Parts: sequence; C-alpha cells; structure tokens
Amino acid sequence: MATRNLGRNRVRTALAALGVLIGVFAIASLGIFGNVLALSAEAELGGIGDQVIVTPNQDAGSNALTVRDVDAIARATGSDGTAVALRSDNGLITASGGQTFGQVYATETPGVLFTAAAGTIPDRHRQGAIVGAEIADELSLEVGSAIEVAGARYRVIAVLESEEMISPVSPNNAVVLPESAIGGRTYDQVVVQADSGAAATAIADRVRAQLNAREERVSVFELSSLLETINEFFSLLNRFLLGIAGISLVVAGVSIFNVMLMSTNERKQEIGVLRAVGIHKADVLRVLLAEAALLGVVGGFFGAILAGVAAIGLVFVSPIGFDVVFVASNGLYLLGAFVFGVFICLISGAYPAYKAATLRPVDALRG
Amino acid sequence: MNGTDSPRAVVELARAKDTAIALESVTKQYETGGVTVEALAGVDLAVETGEFLSIIGPSGSGKSTMLNLLGLLDVPTSGTVRLQGRDVTELGDRERTRARKESIGFVFQDFYLLPTLTAVENVTVPTMFDRDRDATNRAVELLSRVGLADRTDHTPNELSGGQKQRVAIARSLINEPRIVLADEPTGNLDQDTGATILEEFRRICDDGVSVIAVTHDELVTEYADRTVELIDGVIDRVG
Ligand SMILES: Nc1ncnc2c1ncn2[C@@H]1O[C@H](COP(=O)(O)OP(=O)(O)OP(=O)(O)O)[C@@H](O)[C@H]1O
Ligand SMILES: [Mg+2]
Repeated sequence: MATRNLGRNRVRTALAALGVLIGVFAIASLGIFGNVLALSAEAELGGIGDQVIVTPNQDAGSNALTVRDVDAIARATGSDGTAVALRSDNGLITASGGQTFGQVYATETPGVLFTAAAGTIPDRHRQGAIVGAEIADELSLEVGSAIEVAGARYRVIAVLESEEMISPVSPNNAVVLPESAIGGRTYDQVVVQADSGAAATAIADRVRAQLNAREERVSVFELSSLLETINEFFSLLNRFLLGIAGISLVVAGVSIFNVMLMSTNERKQEIGVLRAVGIHKADVLRVLLAEAALLGVVGGFFGAILAGVAAIGLVFVSPIGFDVVFVASNGLYLLGAFVFGVFICLISGAYPAYKAATLRPVDALRG
Repeated sequence: MNGTDSPRAVVELARAKDTAIALESVTKQYETGGVTVEALAGVDLAVETGEFLSIIGPSGSGKSTMLNLLGLLDVPTSGTVRLQGRDVTELGDRERTRARKESIGFVFQDFYLLPTLTAVENVTVPTMFDRDRDATNRAVELLSRVGLADRTDHTPNELSGGQKQRVAIARSLINEPRIVLADEPTGNLDQDTGATILEEFRRICDDGVSVIAVTHDELVTEYADRTVELIDGVIDRVG
C-alpha cells in the first residue's frame, strides 16, 4: 500500500529519497572518514605515547648522562616501566653486500625497545650485532652474517622487525651493539618504555622532579599528553564533521516533510473516503508513517551502502590500511547514520500524517 | 412541517416500524467567520429497512449536510441520530468509525476509488486492516453481481464512469451494511448508465438494505420508494 502510494509520484518520491540518501551518506562517510583519520593517527603515533626520552640538557652545559643520572631515572621509573640507557653514534656499516651509513646504538638491554623478526635478542646484550630491517635489506644481512662497524667486526645475532610507527628511537636504519662497543662511561639518552600513556606521563613528571630539582640538567620528552591532545582534536573534528553531515540530513528531513505534506494534501479526499468507509485514524496514520519510513529505509540503505563503498575506496586512493577501515566503530557509523535517517523521516512524516489522519472525514471529503 | 403529521407522530410511526436510521429534531449550524448558517433547521426523518429513499431539493438546501449526519461523518448541532434504534449522536471517533464500518456504505458522486488499486482491491479497501479476513472472494462476487466479473483486475483509469460507480457500489456493500448512502450517485453519469446504477440500488434494497440517495436527477425519484424534498434546511414535501 505504502509502496504504491509512493509510486504515484515517482519523481518527487525519488528526489525525497535522494535527499535522505545524501544525508545518510554524508553522515556515514564523514563519520567514518574522521574515525579512520583518528584511528590511523593513533596507529602511527601510538608507540611514542608510551615512551619517555631523557636527554642531557645542552643549554645547561651537560653533554651526557652519568651513571648516577641513569640510576636516578631508573628509580624514578620504578615499576611503571623499564629504563634503557643508550649510547648512540653514526657510523659506516660494512658487509660483504656493500656499505651504508647508519645509526649505531649501544645498550645492554635492547629487548625492551625492539622486537626481533629473525634470531633472538638476548636479555643481556654482550656480543654480536642486532640490525634494523632496512639495513639488513640493503646489505642483504641475515642471522649469522658478518658486519664491520667502526672498524670492529660483529656477527649478526638478530634482525629487527620493520617498524611502521613513528618513534624517537627508530630501529629500521640502525645497528644495535653491546654497550661496550661505544666507549666511555656516560650515556647519550635514556629511553623509558612505560606500561601505558598515563604511566609515561607520571614517569616524566617524577624524572623532572628528581633530576631537574636544582637545575635543568635533563630534557624530558614524552608524547602521551600530546597524544591525548591529538585524540581530543580528532574527536572534536569528528563531531564537527558529523554536525555538518547532520545539517544535510535535516535538510533532507525538511524535503520529506514537504513531500509528505503535499502528498497528503493531494490525497485528502482519498483519506476522507478511507475514514468514511470505517478505517480508523490509527490505521491511516500507520499507512502514512509507513510511507515516510519507507522513504527513509530506502534512502538510508543506499546512502549507507554508498558510504561503505566510499570507505573501501579510501583504502585504494590513500595510504590508509584496511585494518583501520574494517573496524566495528565504522560499522556503527553506518548503522547509526541509517537509523538516524529513518528517524528523521519518521519525525518529519509524523506531522503531515497526523494532520491528515485526524482531519474530520467531512472536511477531508470536501477536499 | 406538512400540517397533518406532527414531528412527534412521525417519530412514533417510524419507531413502530423497522427503522434503519432516523434523525429526530436535528439541526445543524455552520459558523464561518462569525456568520452562522443554519443548514438544517429541525429535521425528522426515519428510513425503513429495505427502503429506497431519495432526497431532492435546491442547491444549498442542506442535502449533503443531512447525508453527512446520516453517515455519522458529522455531528448535529442539536437533535438525535438513531442508528437501528441506538442513539449514536454522542459517540466518540472510534465508535463512530466502527459503526460506519459495520452499518453504512458510501457511494460518492466522484466515485473516489483509489487510483493505485485494482477494482477488487478497491472493493476490499474497507476491510484492509482486518486481520485474518480475506474479503477478496466476496469482492469478486460483488463485482460480478454488478456486472464487472471481467474487470476485477483493472485499475480505475481503465474503467468507464459507470463501471467506476459500480465498483464503488460493490465497495459500499463489502461489509454487508444496513444502509447505503449516495450523494449524487448519477451526477457524473449519462442517462443510460445512471439507469443501470439505479437498478443496482433497487436490487440492493430488495436484499433488505436501505438506500438513501441525494440527487438533482429526476430519474432517481422514479426508482425510489419515497422522495423527500428539502428546502432551506426543512423537509418540505414527502412524496
Ligand atoms: N463546512 C461548511 N461550513 C460552512 N457552511 C457550510 C458548510 N457546509 C455546508 N455549508 C452551508 O450549509 C448549507 C447547506 O449546504 P449543503 O452542502 O448541505 O447543500 P446541498 O443541498 O448539498 O447543496 P448542493 O445541492 O449544491 O450540493 C449551504 O448554505 C452551505 O453554504
Ligand atoms: Mg451537496
């Protein structure tokens, strides 16, 4: 019944449904778009949020962290994470496959910061070299290969996983050697791997309080609070996008309102006849609401489908991965936009339907 | 009044017989922009079961108004409407709608068929929201009774005026009403087609249904058992 009534003025119906389609599409796609942005930013930035980097404050004239500093940082870290002291340098790395410049880290406990793709990272790093994915690739290194760094020869004991995330200590283009490989008694930086973003913030505060009490001896770099700000920004952006999209759906609602008003006005006499032959107000109301809901369901369904297709298309035209597109929260945006579309249709169909159904039969018949 | 019968006497008489529907001292006033129009000024009318009553009168005399009151589509300003002896004047919308559905069929001058539905579907419209009831068989039967057995699946725009009116008559009968009300049923039809419609009404009356038709058409009065003339909201002549 509802279907056939809508079929009567196809163009008008189609335009109204198109309005809903666009509205739902806008909400769903902008919602997903914002969500994908936030998710991929989180995926890229997630790692640094858990790290605290402590370096000597060169402005205050200190060039290195002493063993005492490292101990103080370890104490400040406590049980919220693990502090790793690093010496770093740049150096020429030579192998039978060629040679390249790379970052050289020297530390005793690389296992806290890095993950091996091949071979194993020992608890205490005493001999051998651990190489980053890029260097291994460039010099065709594998576990057991021999390399030469700054004149000393090492056997490769592990190759690291390629790291996608942005990180202050990026291992891709680095070689990690035992602590003794770079001489001296001081360290260039301490990287604290915290258990969580909140722990990182707490550790950073404690390090500042204990080491910088009298003078600014160290710079403490931690991104967890920045990350929070970024997340807040993205959720704000998302709400903003949804707001814009919501406006377009409200506009669609107004057009549904108009369509329903026109079509019930045109059919006043028919509605009068229905009432005259004994059909109850409530049933007339139901038929008219069904028409509005149908517009919403059809428009909303195709709008949501289109938004889904657009989201998948995003994967192909941008460096965004499938993993951030196919997540439950995006499905929720699709569903939410659809439901909202149907809801808007019902709301804007309600008044015209109510008005038509409650008209006295005599008045309706007079037209 | 016509002198011989007092209104009271008419009412008593009507009660004594088998009365399908009756108006007792009914008035109807319309208020438009401060002006009060008295469309009906004290009407007494009783319609017997199986009677074919025609109502004539000049334009604006209150014929449609009276039919709306008889059809429970409108309420009188004063007086009583009695449907099969039951006072239905004060009923609320739900009960009125139910009473209309159970007892009254409507035939309109402009047919008022739903353009998207076929003939059978149009006939079943009054039963559309009845659960566990399929009136299709009865609809087909009614359509063949009015001579449209071969037109059941046509939509209104594929039917002639007379055929449309016959579909409308079939629709008015779907719920086996006691009363069929018709406002200018032949108004949009030529003489011959009008005659077939009136024959249809005659047959309905023979089945014990009262037919009340408002008309300008002289032909209708020839088929009717009784004709009343309404002038300025008063029944002027009973013929
Ligand atoms: N809804 C209304 N509001 C105000 N006045 C009305 C209304 N309906 C009818 N009237 C007035 O009541 C009087 C009777 O009208 P009604 O429609 O009953 O006449 P009628 O006999 O059916 O006329 P016609 O033969 O032209 O159809 C007229 O004067 C009309 O103007
Ligand atoms: Mg009239």
